Amino acid sequence: MTKTYEITGKFESEGNAQSLLYAPPAHPLTFRRTTRYLFEYDGSEAALDAFVQKVLVDPISQEYHNDGLPLWDNTTFILDYGMKGGALDLEKETILNYYRKLAAPGFELKKLTLKTRIYVFGEGADSSVFVRDIVNPAIHTWEVVLKTAA
Amino acid sequence: MAKRPHALLLKYPGTNCDAETSRALEAVGFETQVLPIALLESHALDNTQLVVFSGGFSYGDYVMSGRFAKLNTLAKVGDGLQQFVSRGGHVLGICNGFQILTQLHLLPEGSLIHNTSGRFICRWAGLKKNAASPYLHALPDEFELPVAHAEGRFVGIDDAAGQYVQNGRAALLYTSDVNGSSQQIAGLQDETGRVFGLMPHPERFTAKQHHYDPDWNGDADHGWGYYMFKSVREAV
Repeated sequence: MTKTYEITGKFESEGNAQSLLYAPPAHPLTFRRTTRYLFEYDGSEAALDAFVQKVLVDPISQEYHNDGLPLWDNTTFILDYGMKGGALDLEKETILNYYRKLAAPGFELKKLTLKTRIYVFGEGADSSVFVRDIVNPAIHTWEVVLKTAA
Repeated sequence: MAKRPHALLLKYPGTNCDAETSRALEAVGFETQVLPIALLESHALDNTQLVVFSGGFSYGDYVMSGRFAKLNTLAKVGDGLQQFVSRGGHVLGICNGFQILTQLHLLPEGSLIHNTSGRFICRWAGLKKNAASPYLHALPDEFELPVAHAEGRFVGIDDAAGQYVQNGRAALLYTSDVNGSSQQIAGLQDETGRVFGLMPHPERFTAKQHHYDPDWNGDADHGWGYYMFKSVREAV
């Protein structure tokens, strides 16, 4: 079974996308950043939910979504990127190390993938500039989803 | 000669301010021990008077700062730290240590999240005492310390931060907006006053030569950080 959790900060708001780029964009753009955790697992879904809430979510400052849908529907594009399968993902390894020490987690974690998601808002956004400045092709895989909805 | 009190400094993978903090504690009269978290056992808390969570980036700040330090500490000692405090023990958390203490619920409820700037900041910050604290009593009402953090913005549910300022849990405030922290909170204490956490780094200003201004003459002998550790020594 597969389940995706997307975590976002309650106190965060749209930031100036220029802070992500080496050169100012041609048009004023804003962005939101989230983290997506993709679990492939067997066993109890409730136990997985409990694990996520205990390990990955701060109840005061964060909230999570697990319906797989984009959190905002007025984006110009979405950029997802994460470590390649063969590259060492230290954050993933830290999570897996903690999971492996649990005596009875209630589910079997078969694979975990972490992705950073950038939602970009504003007219005239060129996704190739964001890919060029954010993604390191030597260690990252990435995907651009254009225009999410109305 | 009176026996020196013992301070236990817990060291996680990524903790990097333990050496300076240990030196500062020894300068005011503590006997110190730096203990890697892998070697922590519950009985270690029986023979110490002060547990210190030093600054750094425990577990790479993965997921969020202090999260894995909390999980691994609980796995090691369970509620041992709460029991230590209820027995009269003292706990100090500096920067990442403050983040760990909030995660461990040893301080009033709240979280330390990314600065509003979205960037790591490394600068000096003006500070002012907002309430009496045994950890601050040797300091003047206003003083300076260095700050260095990416996740130092304190947030709470609803108006928790305002309540902490009113009831004195927020013992230390910035004199200006440094990182977007609610009510400009820089440090918190628990209801006993024996648990204290702050974002600034007192261990980085124990000698007057540490100050950015070579002509600084706020004190004849020491930096303000020294007086914070001196306060801790007197409290313990």
